[in-house]
Amino acid sequence: MGVDRRAFLGLVAGGAVGTMFTPIPWKLLDDVSIWTQNWPWIPKVPKGQIDYVTTTSKLCPAGEGLKIMRVAGNPITASGNPAHPLSSGGVSALARSEVYMLYSPARVKSPMKKSGKAFVPITWEQALIEMADKLGAAKGSVACISGDQSGTVNEVLSAFVGKLGTAGYFMMPSEATTAAKGMQVMGGKGQAGYDFENADTVLVLGADIFETWGTSTRNRKAFSAKRPVGVKPASNYIYVGPTRNNTAAVCDQWIPASAADLGVVALGIAWHLIKAGATSAAPGFDTLRAVVNGGFGPDDVKRATGIEPAVLAGVAKALASSKAAMVVTGSPFGQGLGAGAFMAGMALNILLGRINKPGGVYALPELATVVPGAMTREAMLKADLPGFLKAVADGKKPAPKALLVYDANPAYGLPEAATMAKALEKIPYKVSFSSFMDETAAMCDLVLPNSLTLERYDDVVTPYGSGFCIYSLVTPYQKPVHDTRPTGDVILALARKLSIELKFDNFLQVLKEKVASLAKTSGGFVAKDVMPWQVAAGKPAPALAGGDLWKALSAGYAWTMVGSVTQTGLGFAPEVLAKAVKPGKTSGKTVTLAPYAQLRTGTPTTGIPCQDLTMVPDTELLGETTMVRMGSATAKALGVKPGAMVKLTGAGTHCKAQVHIFESVMTGVVSAPLGFGHTAFDIFSKGKGANYLALLPVTEEPGTGMSMWAAAEVKIA
Amino acid sequence: MEENRSNSAGGVGGMVLCALIGFVGALVVGWVIFPKLLYSEKTQPIRFSHTVHAQLGIECEQCHHLGPDGRLAGLPTTESCAECHGDETGDKSPNGKEIDKFVKDYVKTGAQVPWLVYQYQPDNVFFSHAAHKGFECTKCHPDVAKMDNPPAYYENRISGYSKDTMKMWQCERCHASMGTSNACYVCHK
Repeated sequence: MGVDRRAFLGLVAGGAVGTMFTPIPWKLLDDVSIWTQNWPWIPKVPKGQIDYVTTTSKLCPAGEGLKIMRVAGNPITASGNPAHPLSSGGVSALARSEVYMLYSPARVKSPMKKSGKAFVPITWEQALIEMADKLGAAKGSVACISGDQSGTVNEVLSAFVGKLGTAGYFMMPSEATTAAKGMQVMGGKGQAGYDFENADTVLVLGADIFETWGTSTRNRKAFSAKRPVGVKPASNYIYVGPTRNNTAAVCDQWIPASAADLGVVALGIAWHLIKAGATSAAPGFDTLRAVVNGGFGPDDVKRATGIEPAVLAGVAKALASSKAAMVVTGSPFGQGLGAGAFMAGMALNILLGRINKPGGVYALPELATVVPGAMTREAMLKADLPGFLKAVADGKKPAPKALLVYDANPAYGLPEAATMAKALEKIPYKVSFSSFMDETAAMCDLVLPNSLTLERYDDVVTPYGSGFCIYSLVTPYQKPVHDTRPTGDVILALARKLSIELKFDNFLQVLKEKVASLAKTSGGFVAKDVMPWQVAAGKPAPALAGGDLWKALSAGYAWTMVGSVTQTGLGFAPEVLAKAVKPGKTSGKTVTLAPYAQLRTGTPTTGIPCQDLTMVPDTELLGETTMVRMGSATAKALGVKPGAMVKLTGAGTHCKAQVHIFESVMTGVVSAPLGFGHTAFDIFSKGKGANYLALLPVTEEPGTGMSMWAAAEVKIA
Repeated sequence: MEENRSNSAGGVGGMVLCALIGFVGALVVGWVIFPKLLYSEKTQPIRFSHTVHAQLGIECEQCHHLGPDGRLAGLPTTESCAECHGDETGDKSPNGKEIDKFVKDYVKTGAQVPWLVYQYQPDNVFFSHAAHKGFECTKCHPDVAKMDNPPAYYENRISGYSKDTMKMWQCERCHASMGTSNACYVCHK
């Protein structure tokens, strides 16, 4: 029997029907759908043994301890270390990105030398030879800008440029620089440290304490510890500032006030306190009382800020009636607030008797330096970087012959960007020790990539805001992903080439000596079973266990010390206060610009972490346009409509923005997000929105002479 | 044309017969041949005897660690195995040869053994051992403690996953029987 057409069709039809009763079609469908997960561009979850190691974040200024999850030895993700006092298990959006940033496309993959407008890779040896040559020739006029506010690497850098003949050692402006200036003017000693854990009433003047100010991760934990869900809160937080930001949103009270008026508000509260009988033996009290009575009465404050007298009286009453009240002052975006506001806030703390008391402000001692010739942190914080660069740009000061930039991005992260860039261009030889190709690195002659946190030894020494002295270690857990080196090691190698004696051969030796010096410091202990805020509240400090401090630090524990510098001359400095804090009033067709910063949009040094970009809402960045926020009353007064494109003009330049109506911004203020407008980095940061810092002019604060730019008027059209 | 039609294979009866042959043939291919074609058979890089280790009183969790929160910490590393098998034995027995092979190829080179895992889930599945720690391991895993030779590993040629990888319907059926939610987000985070 031959197989004809009909037989063939029968065979096929039977086979087709039969196939439907087999696993073939169903299994194939299932397997093909699973196979789509194997497409090469889909990230794979690595397999292998899972373990956890500890280190400390260097990307996040809050300095929290981290627990790194590894699979088969590869770091996978970072979470908060529950045993670390600055973390207590919490982690910021920035610290969480420590692992992901290792693979950022913006990373500088090897030493780079500028050739024309482009960069060409060179070897580390070539880079060291060139630097030794150029820095040797620039002797006597070498400046350094550091963006690391808490690392011992500053000792190495400052000792190195000091021996070369420094033209200045500058820290990027921060709350620490402002506070240092304020303490100095008031005759105080030590770094201001805030004991949130023991405070029961906290008045926050401007500082975004749960986002960008100080030890923000620890601040959040301290806040939540006193306010468990469903239980009456054991603390009272009052926020004064231009917007209902992440801090104000969770506080018990928000009092709208411009950043320019924070000092006025503080002295207005002082008026109520003094009227209620507050007094102080601190130098200058009588003059302060005269100053306060002369220009900061309830009506004066209302005229300047719009705050009703009863509101300030209520705040004063809440502070005066608390057992452990504390006043925290800072810029809503972490920089540019003059020392006047800080001093006014500290004046309240002195009036309330809250200096060096549990739940108050501690004057923390500085830990001893170990590198011979290194500057103290106090000395580093004294220098005024924006003021210096402005003077260089204007030709009032000579440009240094060489500049070293460490972990900083002044071409982007300073106000009056055009002026700062002009000053930087005047410096003939510039080297950037940056992990990323940022705006400043792009201007430099040499870029020497610093290894990232998980690739290097480093440390975090008492970040600003901490209420206690604290030292944490940063431990490398993998070889550098690219041809990068820790800057501390590079500087020490360079010093050897230039025959400069810095005592140490590598940075690990520096850290070991630092830890050894801590082990000898009386009163220090490893925070493990007892936390420093418990010691501040009266619990005995445990002895430093066992002697092997390095081992404890490597295991993720922190060395801490509750201590305070005895104050001999801390006073109100009322004459300076009277000049620095003056009631003013905004009017006309301008509004006050109130920038805000959030850790999810990174820092000028890191750009926007790739995974955090997904957390940026459409009300902040839509396409490539950033949104500015204003209340409907402000929009009506300016004649702009929701969603309108506007031009903001200030400091001789302008930025575009789209208008977003947001009633959590006080009337007369426009709020703008920072972290955008990068012209460097990678696709996650570059070309997204505008950098509104550029609109803020740098002015000199009367009385203190400090540069300030926290609040400025801008025109909107 | 008439002649052609009459010569066709048995007319309608022949066609039914062919359809039946096709039907049966498809069943044979689908149920017998297709599975053999779909999976490639692989053997473990080291013939690890679970029986020997189980007889020594070693519990599953001693090598397949669970974290403090009940989370599976994965397979043991070469370093973990080397704590007992750090040196070559010179033993010529089958087990001795496997130990020496492990030491030579992995301990001395510092490489991790590319174990074939029978039940790795696809990456889009979140499976928590912590949530399932009330069950016996053998409820889901093959009872390897009774196997001197590791079972053959069948790799699906299309999906790349193991034949033993648990399917979604199995998860759903167990969840339903236990009264546990079968919402998407329970397993797909």
